[in-house]
Amino acid sequence: MARRSIFNRLMKSTSNRNEKNEQQGASHPVITKSLDDNIQTIKHTLGNPTDLVVRELMIGGIEKRAAIIYISGITDEKMINSNILQAIQLNLKKFETNILEHIHNEVVAITDIERAETFDDVSVGILNGSSAFYLDGHKEVLLMGTSGGEDRSIGEPESETLIRGPRDGFVENIHTNMALVRRDIKDTNLRFKQHVVGKRSKQKVVVCYVEGIVNPELVDEINRRIESINIGYISDSSFVEQWIEDNIYSPFPQFIDTERPDMVSAAVTQGKIGIIVDGSPFALIAPMTFSDGLASPEDYTQRWMSATLIRILRYLAALIAVFLPGLYVALASFHPGMIPSTLAYSIAASREGVPFPSAIEAILMAVTFELLHEAGIRLPNVIGQTIGIVGGLVIGEAAVSAGIVSPVMVIVTALTAIASFSIPSYSMSIAFRSLRFAVLLAGGFLGLYGIILVFMMITIHLVNLKSIGMPYSTPLGPTFLKDLRDVLIRAPITRLKNRPAYMKTLDKVSKDTSVKQKKADK
Amino acid sequence: MSTFKYADEKIKSQDIMIAVPSMVIAVGIFNFPATLAESTRYADGWVGVLIGGIIVILFTWVVAKLASLFPNQSFLSYSSSLVSKPVASVLTILFVLQGILIAAFEVSTISIVSHLYLYERTPYEVVAITFLLVVVYAVSGSRAGIFRINVLFLPLIFLISGLLMLFSINFMEIKNVLPVFTTDIRGYVRGTFDSALAYSGVGILFFYVSLVRDVEKVPSRAVFGMSWVVVLYLFVYLTCIAVFGQETTEVIHFPFIELAQSVEIPGGFFERMESIFFVIWITAIFTTAMMSFDVSIMALQSLFPKLNKHTAVFILSPIIYFIAMVPNNYLDQIKFGKLLSYATWILPGFVAILLWVMYAVKGGNRLEK
Repeated sequence: MARRSIFNRLMKSTSNRNEKNEQQGASHPVITKSLDDNIQTIKHTLGNPTDLVVRELMIGGIEKRAAIIYISGITDEKMINSNILQAIQLNLKKFETNILEHIHNEVVAITDIERAETFDDVSVGILNGSSAFYLDGHKEVLLMGTSGGEDRSIGEPESETLIRGPRDGFVENIHTNMALVRRDIKDTNLRFKQHVVGKRSKQKVVVCYVEGIVNPELVDEINRRIESINIGYISDSSFVEQWIEDNIYSPFPQFIDTERPDMVSAAVTQGKIGIIVDGSPFALIAPMTFSDGLASPEDYTQRWMSATLIRILRYLAALIAVFLPGLYVALASFHPGMIPSTLAYSIAASREGVPFPSAIEAILMAVTFELLHEAGIRLPNVIGQTIGIVGGLVIGEAAVSAGIVSPVMVIVTALTAIASFSIPSYSMSIAFRSLRFAVLLAGGFLGLYGIILVFMMITIHLVNLKSIGMPYSTPLGPTFLKDLRDVLIRAPITRLKNRPAYMKTLDKVSKDTSVKQKKADK
Repeated sequence: MSTFKYADEKIKSQDIMIAVPSMVIAVGIFNFPATLAESTRYADGWVGVLIGGIIVILFTWVVAKLASLFPNQSFLSYSSSLVSKPVASVLTILFVLQGILIAAFEVSTISIVSHLYLYERTPYEVVAITFLLVVVYAVSGSRAGIFRINVLFLPLIFLISGLLMLFSINFMEIKNVLPVFTTDIRGYVRGTFDSALAYSGVGILFFYVSLVRDVEKVPSRAVFGMSWVVVLYLFVYLTCIAVFGQETTEVIHFPFIELAQSVEIPGGFFERMESIFFVIWITAIFTTAMMSFDVSIMALQSLFPKLNKHTAVFILSPIIYFIAMVPNNYLDQIKFGKLLSYATWILPGFVAILLWVMYAVKGGNRLEK
């Protein structure tokens, strides 16, 4: 219901926008035959910016005026000089009947060249880094793909470091990112469906999938949702994520976000869909299930038994991160009889002199920890170490000796913190951190009973949550027994050759059938 | 909005297989060893559990088969075609009431048993209302979600029962079990009757089968699901008798929970296992309350097709809450439970017989189309 109303609103606002565009169309600039007029129009439309370069030139033998217009900084000026300017000046000494045709076909040494006839195409082209070639007396313009400029080089993904595995990470340039995926998958069926999103920014959003594997309904749904995006500027792929996700009231991420091209490549060969956004080094992968949030690429690069143990450890960490402080509070304040008596005595002894009930104490510590965490992220690396010292000393030592918190509480908080850091996906770990407070409150008010209620509520939420129409609790919830071999355990790679059944892929087996064929031939 | 076919409101026959034990296993298991131990000697009650189980399995098959003869039809529509619309409406209303009563019973059991095993200070009302709110949250979600919850919780229930029985092996004494077959025939009959009462909740099949996609597999899957319950009950009964002996079991109110009290987990991290056990068992009680509430809503919606699901939840939950507040102590509670288990046998039993007879009279095959 909520979804539908959001979409209705959305549809309404897009139609409003279309109307506005039509109104503007009345005084729309056009391309004329006069070169001077055209240059003036461009300058006027862009507000005569200082980075707009207008290079006027006379074409050799025929004495015809022409101009190359581009914006410096987003273009490769070396390329313009050598492949366009030089080529034109050297080659056009003699008279030609159709000079524009001649330049287009023979002179310019650039592969990406097209003719534009409307002013909109030209201005968008220039803003995208193309160079426009105007010729006096012609209403046609040549747009030459010269986009370039400074880019960050491919580096190691900082938010997802691995011990073993590829070390390249996405950058801000979408073409580089697409190339990174293409390098991994040399399949003719790899598709990059491009959308242009952002009313002002006109950014490219690319939906990446392998045709013949992926469920076509899934592609249609994602394309439909991306087309509905109506926003001025997308600073990161998370804008796309938040716009097209199924449930905006959920603490859980409904897309996998990753900096790693190998993650995207692995996902698309499994029948999932990657979304790459211009200007963002984070690609999105959909649909996502709960177990994806607790999986790491490392699981597949290590031997399967150790990977399985690590995965179990990670599920344990998730449980600790959500439930431990609440459990401690519940046991200490409601059910002290359940703790072994020696431990109960030492907890009671350590709480001697602590003025607050353990629920308040736990909330105090949890908030302090979140503060430390947040401060640590915001501070530059150089000052960041200070936070460690302040945190370690103030929270660890001083608070205990001042009698504000008990040492056991410090242990509980620290253990929870470590557990929440061992969740590979940061957005998943944030979800757990926020749920921790709900568990804490429930444990403080209703003890163990409250905790099991919260546990059930989280489960209810998870089974009702969907990611692009796929239940979040798949393959546990709608049960796919065969897919359970890659949830809590990670079966040997040789046993994982089938694609997940829950993806309903067109091609179920990821092994190469031609190999079998060859063997049969022999 | 359903990109994936399995994500819509339809379910598979496996979900019915899971739903049956999730519905049947709830609070009945807490005290049935005690009632059974009254009428039989030593461990002879297992005969009752087994025969009662076979009866209930047959009954499950009868109900599932009947419902699966009319795929994709609501209870109201197929019963109307067999026994005129007014009679069908009355039966549907009775099922609404039964669902409300079961849900209320589970809610009040939670509040009463939690006073015995978790804490004394928190008022009944708070415990009941928080539990009811979680149930409301579950039934307000998608119906397919309810079956997914069952899938997630049922293994937990079997796991904790299995662990409990495993840990109590140390406390079992062979003299509590032997000699066998010392009970007279009346004792067996009574035992069968008592244990059959403990398996209640098959009535949901009348409603949930209409959601199943592969309906022809439903009867066998439902029977399979029910047989898990019978096996679990058998083991629970034998464990209780082996640990406590027949005389002691007879006087304990909730032998199954007391079993948890007597065991110790190696490693000694938790004491008083019964609290942990009861807390986890809350999920079993929860799935029962959730499904019976949901069936009430489903039945109500079939009577009033324009009724919004959320409105139905809003109307029914205060009623459930007030009924749940009627019993004040566990003696009332056991009486309530007894009456309810009669009701949950009589109503589906009556309906099943009635509909089968009418089906035979009207020459069923014609009606299916």
